[in-house]
Amino acid sequence: MAAPTVKVALGWSGLGLGVRRAALRLPGLVQVRWSRYGPEYQDPQTDKEYYRKPLAQLTEEETYERELRKTQVIKAAPATKTCSVFEDPVISKFTNMMMKGGNKILARSLMTQTLEAVKRKQFEKYHAASAEEQATIERNPYTIFHQALKNCEPVIGLVPILKGGHFYQVPVPLADRRRRFLAMKWMITECREKKPRRMLMPEKLSQELLEAFYNRGPVIKRKHDMHKMAEANRALAHYRWW
Amino acid sequence: IMLKGMTRLVSRVHKAKHGEQHVGQHYNISIQELKTVFPHGLPPRFVMQVKTFNEACLMVRKPALELLHYLKNTNFAHPAVRYVLYGEKGTGKTLSLCHIIHFCAKQDWLILHIPDAHLWVKNCRDLLQSTYNKQRFDQPLEASVWLKNFKTANERFLSQIKVQDKYVWNKRESTEKGSPLAEVVEQGIMRVRNATDAVGIVLKELKRQSSLGIFRLLVAVDGVNALWGRTTLKREDKSLIAPEELALIYNLRKMVKNDWQGGAIVLTVSQTGSLFKPRKAYLPQELLGKEGFDTLDPFIPILVSNYNPKEFEACIQYYLENSWLQHEKAHTEEGKKELLFLSNRNPGLLERLCAYL
Repeated sequence: MAAPTVKVALGWSGLGLGVRRAALRLPGLVQVRWSRYGPEYQDPQTDKEYYRKPLAQLTEEETYERELRKTQVIKAAPATKTCSVFEDPVISKFTNMMMKGGNKILARSLMTQTLEAVKRKQFEKYHAASAEEQATIERNPYTIFHQALKNCEPVIGLVPILKGGHFYQVPVPLADRRRRFLAMKWMITECREKKPRRMLMPEKLSQELLEAFYNRGPVIKRKHDMHKMAEANRALAHYRWW
Repeated sequence: IMLKGMTRLVSRVHKAKHGEQHVGQHYNISIQELKTVFPHGLPPRFVMQVKTFNEACLMVRKPALELLHYLKNTNFAHPAVRYVLYGEKGTGKTLSLCHIIHFCAKQDWLILHIPDAHLWVKNCRDLLQSTYNKQRFDQPLEASVWLKNFKTANERFLSQIKVQDKYVWNKRESTEKGSPLAEVVEQGIMRVRNATDAVGIVLKELKRQSSLGIFRLLVAVDGVNALWGRTTLKREDKSLIAPEELALIYNLRKMVKNDWQGGAIVLTVSQTGSLFKPRKAYLPQELLGKEGFDTLDPFIPILVSNYNPKEFEACIQYYLENSWLQHEKAHTEEGKKELLFLSNRNPGLLERLCAYL
């Protein structure tokens, strides 16, 4: 879906000051997925290191920025964004996608159990391996997670385009965020659906992550299927107009 | 940065010579010893840690050292002294108990270790009416499992101790007076229906004979507040069973009374497996109830608290040595401060945090 989600609404009533107008400004359309903050609101800065820099060491731009932030309005930081050193935006996004019905506690515990399971499996492999292999075995669950998701990201995607009364699957380059989203989505659906009945999610997820890290496994296969379909529909590439 | 290949920074101390200056240091138990001394009784997360690191390392802490000091200076002519380890959740009561048990096993004591008394008062699939006493109930599964583990832990004593009474199991089988205790244990393991009675006999014989001085007996019970609490087991007519009506609990209560000599009784009260007790309760008075507290009355309470700063550092060092903390930021000062804040130096919480970092 290349176009941003704009839903057609009839006219727009007088809205308050901080409310943003649709960036596209298509006439007669009002953006539905939007935030209540206007363009003047700045993102919150949660990095402790930024504030710890002594004032003497700042460059001119940085002093200017600091003075500017004193007068600007700043958005409220969401509850999930912390100044913790252990925070990882990819892990947070994945946890949110795994969450069902707002049960963040369960999603987060599943995530931590998955990371622990990955770690323990890698430690077992490490202790069973010989000295040369030990240098190649990666034991950090976070690097494994990031690399696995990177390996699962498709390069090119398919988009249904309406032409002459039929929908054609047209190969299209995907934006970065769309690719990351697809990788995470495929990983989660794969683990939810193809799981044996009594196996728990952390175990299945850790299995899939490790397989994706080594570039094998069903999620990588799905990515390759997507690439093959795109290659097969190469001729329809002209239907794309952007 | 992995610390593999460097010489061990955390010193390993020989256990019998533990003293005040060794607080915060770790000591090793070999895996074979682990299998003989602890067939049951280690906390499940610790078992996972042992499996992952391929080594079992306990930290020497003050409550355990205190208890060891008392045990070293016990007078075996006096009645057995009761020690109760209490503390909040995750502070290390069970592991301190395991430290004591390992020490006593090294000193050749007979270890009577009940890993978790709470498991005997809840979730029992098959309750039989006891063959010995019609009012009480048998738990064949739990009793036979415990007998198997007891056998692994104390092989060498079972042939030395002789039974002092004749016990008739059924029309065809009986154990003569003077036969080794191993026979009673075998009978309990093979005939699961008589397992509870076998446990009762073992407890009675050990209590009688420990005063004679052939061996020293250590009774270690984890979660002793289960003996005086409530059960969740019901009879066929859905009426609740009181703990006294379970034969295992009845015999265990007799064991925990201090009317025998020649050993020591080390107990732990815990809220984690307990039934109908509030989550924040950790004092012996709250968890044991009036009845339990009165029965146990002259006992020595030992508080197990969170790590002090030195122990916390030692624990983090141990994890870093085994490369358990894999997150890059965990090695920094910031990371350590954060771990301290998040776990409040609670050993259990720290272990769970470091598991996924």
